[in-house]
Amino acid sequence: MKKFVNDPENFVAEMMEGVHLANPGMFNYEPKYNLISRADRPSPDHVSIVQGSGSGHEPAHIMAVGPGMLDAASPGGVFSAPPMDYCLECIKAMNSLKGVLVLINNYQGDRMNWDMAIEMAEAEGIDVKQFVIDDDVAVQDSSYTTGRRGVAGNFFVMKACGAAAEKGASLDELLELAAKVNGQVRSMGVALTSCTPPAKGTPIFDIGDDEIEVGVGIHGEPGRRRDKLVEADRILDEMYDAVAGDLPFESGDRVALMINGLGGTPISELYVLYRQAALRCKDTGLEIVRSYVGEYCTSLEMAGASLTLLRLDDELEELLAAPADCAVRVF
Amino acid sequence: MTQITINDVERAVQTAAATALQNIQYFSELDAAAGDADFGVSLGSGFKALQEQWDDLDRSSISSFLLKVSVLITSNVGGCSGPIWGTGFMRAGMLSKEKDELTLGDLAEMLAGSIDGIKKRGGAEEGDKTLLDALIPIQKVLADAAANDDDDTRKALQECTRVANEAIERTRDWTAKRGRQSFTGERSKGTVDPGIVAIATMLNDISAEFGVSESQ
Repeated sequence: MKKFVNDPENFVAEMMEGVHLANPGMFNYEPKYNLISRADRPSPDHVSIVQGSGSGHEPAHIMAVGPGMLDAASPGGVFSAPPMDYCLECIKAMNSLKGVLVLINNYQGDRMNWDMAIEMAEAEGIDVKQFVIDDDVAVQDSSYTTGRRGVAGNFFVMKACGAAAEKGASLDELLELAAKVNGQVRSMGVALTSCTPPAKGTPIFDIGDDEIEVGVGIHGEPGRRRDKLVEADRILDEMYDAVAGDLPFESGDRVALMINGLGGTPISELYVLYRQAALRCKDTGLEIVRSYVGEYCTSLEMAGASLTLLRLDDELEELLAAPADCAVRVF
Repeated sequence: MTQITINDVERAVQTAAATALQNIQYFSELDAAAGDADFGVSLGSGFKALQEQWDDLDRSSISSFLLKVSVLITSNVGGCSGPIWGTGFMRAGMLSKEKDELTLGDLAEMLAGSIDGIKKRGGAEEGDKTLLDALIPIQKVLADAAANDDDDTRKALQECTRVANEAIERTRDWTAKRGRQSFTGERSKGTVDPGIVAIATMLNDISAEFGVSESQ
């Protein structure tokens, strides 16, 4: 696998330095803890929202730091949970009078390190609460997770909470909002290829040229089954049925629809999938109010995509429509 | 030795670090029987980081020392063992705030807090064949001594070491229900738990360091 990489050990640090340099004045960057934070946070009038997971899922989460989204992120190495001291320093750096909200995708390593950092931060008198996101309907338990995994649906939790925090919502209100979004968002992904962490140098799993992994995790965890590659609409149909049937979404629901690329799939293919998803929504009677097509939560250069549906109401529609500015910009 | 000072705490932690580093291969071999064979390496990398920063650790109090140890262990032991072991040190550190010296009763209270924290962090309970099955009998020894107004710390250390060693064989035929070993289910029967062995080995070495032998 060919990659743009210098010393693989410095891969994450160099990426973060790049993000910092590309957005002058917007962020503070503390290399010791992989910590990117908004230059204008913490603020005494706003809850700080932070997230840290493994790297390799960009733009999640460091490129989601900015006004109206996250206030800070402190990722670990590629596909490795952030070490506890990164989490603790992230919370301390974002300590606000209104409190700190930690958003965690449901992976055992992330949860343990953040849990512990939160306990330590609380002992220092910081008002900090956590919310765990688990939107992936593919499997109940998997390699790194008890329960469902957190995947691209985390974007909607970040976006809604980020917008509400900007308006001055309290920590308890944000926790309630996060639970509401997480309760109404469902996702599932399909991989066409594996991916190769720079420091590992070899693919994280093997998959044949004519095979797909249905329900893959964003660290290559096994999904529901291995299957032969079929035409795009049939793959999308399976994702749609799994996602829409889970909540379930019902005729008359207003929804946000996301087709998320896993890193190695061209935008054109994502729109091919979007087309069929939109047709399926119409058949089910779902009204698509907002659409998201692109890369939100990836798995390095894995070819593949995930589908996410979020059930909307007036409150969520307004929050999703609120302005946000972050290191991910598509013009 | 009726009160435990920060020097004693430091000596015990330093000895545990040496134990972890001397047994990297041994602990990993134990882990290979039913786990993923990395426990010794993971534990070793954490205690190595501790040794490397040993001279710069905050020694202003027992509490701040243990909290600093906790951060280093948590952040440098790989996998889920980091937060598990680190939580043990963290709770002990939190529960020793404002104490210049420790009694056996203090130690019992600190270890009870560590056990609660480890249960919360990893979701394990007594009987799941994890390090808790060594720590719980050790805590009972300390609590019993404190309840009987027995302040003989040497005798307590000897007894703690005995029950930890005993836990290795007592749990051998159990089925692991938590941690990496549990992934192999019934296959974990008949193998010793690496976490329990690590606790016992550390206590044996700490006993030797303080001149207490198990048969004393």
